[in-house]
Amino acid sequence: MPEATLRTLSDPGRAGPVSRLSRLAPVHWLALAFLAVALGFAAVAWATGNGFYLRLATEALIFAGLAMSVDLLLGYTGLLSLGQALYFGLGAYVSALVLRDVAPSFWLAMAAALLAGGVAGLIGGVIANRVKGVYFALITFGLAQVAAKTVYNTRALGASDGLIGIPQISIGFGPLSLDTADPLSFFLLVLALTVAAYAGLAYLMDAPFGRTLAAIRANEKRVPFLGFNAWRYKLAVYVLAACVAALAGALYPMLRGFVSPELMFFETSGNAVITVIVGGVGTLVGPVVGSLLLTALRSVVGSWTEHHLIVVGVIFMLSVIFLRKGLVGALLARLGRRTGQGRTTP
Amino acid sequence: MADLIDYLQFVLAPQALNGLSLGVAVVLMALGLTIIFGLLDVINMAHGEFYAIGAFLALTLAGLGVGFWALLVLVPLLMLPIGWLAERWLIARVFHSRDRHILTLLLTFGLGMIMEDLLKLVYGPNTHRPENPIEGGTEILGMFLPNYRLFLIGFGLALIAAVWVVVFRTGLGAMVRAAAFDKDMASSLGVPVRRVYAGTFAFGVALAGLSGVLLAPIYSVFPTMGRDFILMAFTVVIVGGMGSIQGAVVAGLLLTQVQALSSLYISPVWSDPLVFGIMVLVLMVRPQGLFGRLGHA
Repeated sequence: MPEATLRTLSDPGRAGPVSRLSRLAPVHWLALAFLAVALGFAAVAWATGNGFYLRLATEALIFAGLAMSVDLLLGYTGLLSLGQALYFGLGAYVSALVLRDVAPSFWLAMAAALLAGGVAGLIGGVIANRVKGVYFALITFGLAQVAAKTVYNTRALGASDGLIGIPQISIGFGPLSLDTADPLSFFLLVLALTVAAYAGLAYLMDAPFGRTLAAIRANEKRVPFLGFNAWRYKLAVYVLAACVAALAGALYPMLRGFVSPELMFFETSGNAVITVIVGGVGTLVGPVVGSLLLTALRSVVGSWTEHHLIVVGVIFMLSVIFLRKGLVGALLARLGRRTGQGRTTP
Repeated sequence: MADLIDYLQFVLAPQALNGLSLGVAVVLMALGLTIIFGLLDVINMAHGEFYAIGAFLALTLAGLGVGFWALLVLVPLLMLPIGWLAERWLIARVFHSRDRHILTLLLTFGLGMIMEDLLKLVYGPNTHRPENPIEGGTEILGMFLPNYRLFLIGFGLALIAAVWVVVFRTGLGAMVRAAAFDKDMASSLGVPVRRVYAGTFAFGVALAGLSGVLLAPIYSVFPTMGRDFILMAFTVVIVGGMGSIQGAVVAGLLLTQVQALSSLYISPVWSDPLVFGIMVLVLMVRPQGLFGRLGHA
């Protein structure tokens, strides 16, 4: 079934219009179940006073944001970005500079990162969308390499050391405020942002915009005949993905107190792609699940051997060959069989 | 006037010759990459790790007492089955799916990751420095050149010529080009396409391994040695035209000269962004590269 590869799972064509109106798609139930697990984890970690695992989980959620942006491009539009770390790193550097040199304001840092991500995404998108297929993958890779090496060589940005000493801040929500120094509240904030990003992006992917992207993925040549400008949609989703990645990156210095050029390197982009493939491409919740599972795996395997790349690599390759829709996809297929949903496909 | 000649002789020329020896090595890597892409449409992200495996194999065999000249034959022969199996077990599995470009790229990326970590597991993360097999140097036009670099340039150029002869002047090469142009037609004319695919992949991998043997005495041997080098090779393949043999040769020699000579004027740390900038520009303006694809005349 070659045409089924890299296919969106929340495709209403499979669920049928009635079931879509009457209840949430299975993939959203999975997201809710995941949220419950995350909250349970937070409660346990808080009760046992374990800040280390809370911070690790927060980092996993931040990288899940980067993976989601890769999924927007790969899973929904069929564009493989090998340089998404460019925008993640950009967001991290902008946020770090704002927090350190301008004002310790969460909202200002996020707004600046969003703006930078949008502008850089527009430039990068115009460049990258000149070409298709593997050339797109290579040009995104090249762009990120140029940016990463430039940051790495720039003394003003801390060169290979990166920027350190980013202050911890307190974030105001009207009368309430929370502190990034407190692992639990920052975890809950990042979790809330992840849920918001998931809900917003999942909605957008179910809206006409997302349908058009799916059409581009399925057959780009026919899209103009339906009256849509494929290039504009591809540019729009590229900018959107850049913004998501930049916002996720902006959270990084708040968690760790530093940024380094490694955030822009190919390892970061490659890890995001691995996360998406293992978690489930074209599901949005897959990247989040994948990020948490892979972080947990690295931390467990890393505790008894430093060669966790072999384990991650094997899982990744098995996912590419056998689980074309990742763990979430496999789970959904199983759920679909049980509830009889799989049989609606002719 | 004398200043100018001095400048050419003592500044530019040595730098250009250094660039040439690096260029020949990069071309060998890029040839494997570009042949694999031209025939199979596969971006082999694991190519740098195959190169590293070649270097480590040479290190191990040299430790067992195998001479350098034997290594030049033995290591590529040992790499052939590795490449063959990688194609049969991994690439062939996803070759007929619609997203094979992306899937094969991802698979070779995963494979490279595993191989790099395996090398770390077996040999440790340390850097090894093999003995120089050809000691001494030669004075040419007042410049002192290490003999090994001269050998590398000569041997590399001969090897490039040999690859060219095999691909364009033998029956085997004709089969490869026919399969690259139209695999169904080639198959119905009796070309064993599946074996040609596996064989070509193995050939590219063997070339990478051979580059590893050749470069081990110049650059040190360490598990991540493939990473920096592969980026340059990728740039060369893209600029020359993915799947083009003459493109890989021309772009390889050209870009390494750009890198070598530009480092006289700008800090060498900026030569990487410069080369990648060229790659992005070429992809923007002429994504098919300078030359046409293998089998597509």
